[in-house]
Amino acid sequence: MKTAIEIRQNFVDGKISAVEIVTQYLERIKKYDSELNAFLAVFNERALEKAKALDAKREKGEPLGKLAGVPIAIKDNILIEGQLCTCASKMLENYKAPYSATVARLLEEEDAILIGKTNMDEFAMGGSGTHSAFGPTKNPYDLTCSPGGSSSGSAAAVSADLCPIALGSDTGGSIRQPAALTGIVGFKPTYGRVSRYGLVAFGSSLDQIGPFTHSVKDVALMMEVLGKHCEHDSTSLNTTPIRYLEEIESSLEGKRIGVPWHFLEELNGEVKDNFEESIEKLKSLGAEVIDVDLDILKYGVSIYYILSTAEASTNLARFDGIRYGYRTKKAENLESTYRLSRSKGFGWEVKNRILLGTSVLSSSSYEELFAKAQKVRTLLIHKMREAFGKCDCIAIPTAPSTAFALDGMKDPLEEYLQDLYTIGANMAGLPAISVPSGLSAKGKPFGIQFMGPQTHDLEVMRFAYAFESKCPPLSPPQFGAGND
Amino acid sequence: MTDIHYENWEPVIGLEVHVQLNTKSKMFSRSLNQFGDEPNTNIDMVNTGQPGTLPILNKQAVKYAIQFGLAVNAEVARTSSFDRKSYFYPDNPRNFQITQFFNPIIRNGTVTCDVDGHTKHVKIVEAHLEDDTGMLKHFSSFAGVDYNRAGTPLLEVVSAPSMHSPKDASAFAMALKAIMQYLGVAECNMDQGGLRMDANISVRPKGDKTLRPKVEIKNMNSFHNMEMAIEAEIRRQIQAYTLNPNEDHAKAIQPGTYRFDLSTRKTVMMRLKEDALDYRYFPEPDLVPITLQEEEIEALKASLPELPHQRYLRYISDLELPADSASVLINDKYTSDFFEEALPIAKNATSLCNWLISEFLGRFKEKGITLKASNLKSENIGKLVRMIEEKVITGRIAKQVADDMLAHPEKNPEEIVKANPNYQPVSDTGVIEPIVDQILKDNPQSIADYKAGRTKAMAFLVGQVMKETKGKASPSVVNDLILKKISS
Repeated sequence: MKTAIEIRQNFVDGKISAVEIVTQYLERIKKYDSELNAFLAVFNERALEKAKALDAKREKGEPLGKLAGVPIAIKDNILIEGQLCTCASKMLENYKAPYSATVARLLEEEDAILIGKTNMDEFAMGGSGTHSAFGPTKNPYDLTCSPGGSSSGSAAAVSADLCPIALGSDTGGSIRQPAALTGIVGFKPTYGRVSRYGLVAFGSSLDQIGPFTHSVKDVALMMEVLGKHCEHDSTSLNTTPIRYLEEIESSLEGKRIGVPWHFLEELNGEVKDNFEESIEKLKSLGAEVIDVDLDILKYGVSIYYILSTAEASTNLARFDGIRYGYRTKKAENLESTYRLSRSKGFGWEVKNRILLGTSVLSSSSYEELFAKAQKVRTLLIHKMREAFGKCDCIAIPTAPSTAFALDGMKDPLEEYLQDLYTIGANMAGLPAISVPSGLSAKGKPFGIQFMGPQTHDLEVMRFAYAFESKCPPLSPPQFGAGND
Repeated sequence: MTDIHYENWEPVIGLEVHVQLNTKSKMFSRSLNQFGDEPNTNIDMVNTGQPGTLPILNKQAVKYAIQFGLAVNAEVARTSSFDRKSYFYPDNPRNFQITQFFNPIIRNGTVTCDVDGHTKHVKIVEAHLEDDTGMLKHFSSFAGVDYNRAGTPLLEVVSAPSMHSPKDASAFAMALKAIMQYLGVAECNMDQGGLRMDANISVRPKGDKTLRPKVEIKNMNSFHNMEMAIEAEIRRQIQAYTLNPNEDHAKAIQPGTYRFDLSTRKTVMMRLKEDALDYRYFPEPDLVPITLQEEEIEALKASLPELPHQRYLRYISDLELPADSASVLINDKYTSDFFEEALPIAKNATSLCNWLISEFLGRFKEKGITLKASNLKSENIGKLVRMIEEKVITGRIAKQVADDMLAHPEKNPEEIVKANPNYQPVSDTGVIEPIVDQILKDNPQSIADYKAGRTKAMAFLVGQVMKETKGKASPSVVNDLILKKISS
């Protein structure tokens, strides 16, 4: 298993060609993905073409980008011009992207090799990867288990080392929770840090694109490339460039970590033990651990399912079978074109959330549900700010459990609660990172999450980087590179 | 049969006017804001609602909205924001419109309307920015959508329900159009949908304070048709209340959305209010609020051009034009600018105003064209009036020259006169004198009247000579000759 930084270095140093790198990963995908179902599309030709071009570039001595030779997989809700972008939905099964997302462009500009599109919960709605129209993705650590979601394919692909880096999107925890469940690093940047242009919107005020990596330093590398202002996104931050890689090493001595112990009261068993061990590690790194009141987070899931579904119900209204996407052949008029196309094109969970969102926005429930949820969101932001007045960073488990069985979530509410610890960062637009923190007795990964104030992306990476150094690497999953 | 006393009822009318702003690009994307091109050529990823696209606010449209707000003495919100309005229709590429529902950029203004020489003030409740839809085109076996119009910036101006006649309503809409044109923020080409009106109408017995159920007539793009529509709806409502005096108001007049059928001159129900769509408004998360700085607003205020009402007052006080003529001139920017350009050449404002309004606009009306479409040049009308003023031609000949100018708008009146011997005034006394002698001989009474101090008799005699010479005699020569002969 190699990190992106190592791969690039080897490529730049001439130890390996880009074609060799790509071929190795394509072979691994060919070998293992039939079991994992992490990829919805593999760019065999495109990736090799790009690799050849990079080898030629290196040959000529031209300057090489920050991601030169690094194969990267992209969640299938991010557009790459000319490639299908399905969102794991029958609705967009044949939708060929007419333009590239800003992130895809930025990666290619830095000489990354886009290697394929990854599976996900349909339209990023779900926390298990089982809501894909193209079959569930499996957890490399236990094939009977879910890798989490919604960025299920990206997490599984990096975990099984089918690629060193993948992009995901995180609306309520969709990068961090699957990262935790598959034993890798997952980062959700500050809202607005990474352009959303070309990301198929779910909850516009919550969505952020971020990377899955094997190391925290690879996150820093990715953020140097992705963390740029974009004129196609009005919510994009416009700040001076941050040198994440250079400045990531920092002592935790004298730093304060807040832990919302009261909110975490219901935590139990192995997850609790692992979290407490992690806190001890942080203390041993010199950090001071203090108690912060974030009881308000218990309302997080409730307001999330009001606000995110409201936004989603309108974001997904454009999928109507008129301009693109699935259109029923049975319709006899406009009304039935809409009704039948949307009924057949969307899966159950997506329809569930569209209905919920439509309902909370109706004039009869707006005040009672949507407006109230907005107020609670504002309160939550204030409480978070208050907490950050006392500490530099908040530490919290990433997920309430380790990987669960693929058919384990009978009740949608149970699946919704998977996001209990991650939703706060989306609600307040905070940067948050999940880092592996060990394996359970059954060999399933745990993750710990660090959250910082808005725009303190580098600061949370520093905590994660220090923690990572104190945590022995997880033994790789059964498809891990070590098993070759 | 019950008698219907229309005069006992007071109509209450409010308008919602949609004005397409003439920005270079669209409200939320960079594609061209341009009318009349091949279908689906001025479009981009955003206008066709491609997944993953995001709206980017057009700052020019914001500036235009502020200018309008300042022009009508309204409050310009220091912070305003956008909202999503959801409904499914193929001309709506995202199936939601982006509008300003909760926090519009403009509130509480007053539009001053100068019509038929009267000045009225109409309150506006708000004006907000939003994007236009595409257009459906129906073919024999299918329908297509043209998204060229999708995303065109609209400023929707909402009046208070404070107008009481169809004339009031069209005066308000006309004044609004003039203000937009003077500001240069909109072309308001009515036949291209550049200004579209919805009218909310109710009636109540005179003296009543409470409002009765209202009916909305949608999407009208002609002032004249709107007046007819409102008139028809007012009569319908009064008839309904009169014929069913004991009926619940909401039953006699079912609130809802109507359209005006021009062929039957009747309003036709489209949708009852209880079947109205729930638009599920909520704040647009993809756009940050518009925040304005004091200096920006002040700078725009300082650079406002002369507005229609200011021009109206100037025409009356400085140029001493009659109020009704002044209102005709100012309500169409093209006409008013034309007048301004011709004025230094014509030299006489009253005469120019008369010629422009009575002679030329009258001729256009007959032909069914506008001043702009006539292709006439302001310079040439100015010259024509000057020629009359300087007595180079008579008024009667000028009318013929005006006809020629209409037929050949490229021609200069001086050349027209020069080229046509019939238009040149006869100053040769050898030709005019015998005619004068004959007229004086035939009208001894007029001579006596004149000598008795009745100056009108002089005009009569001159007129008789002019008639005899078919208007060609130089009026000054005729005048001199008559005077000489009577006095001698």
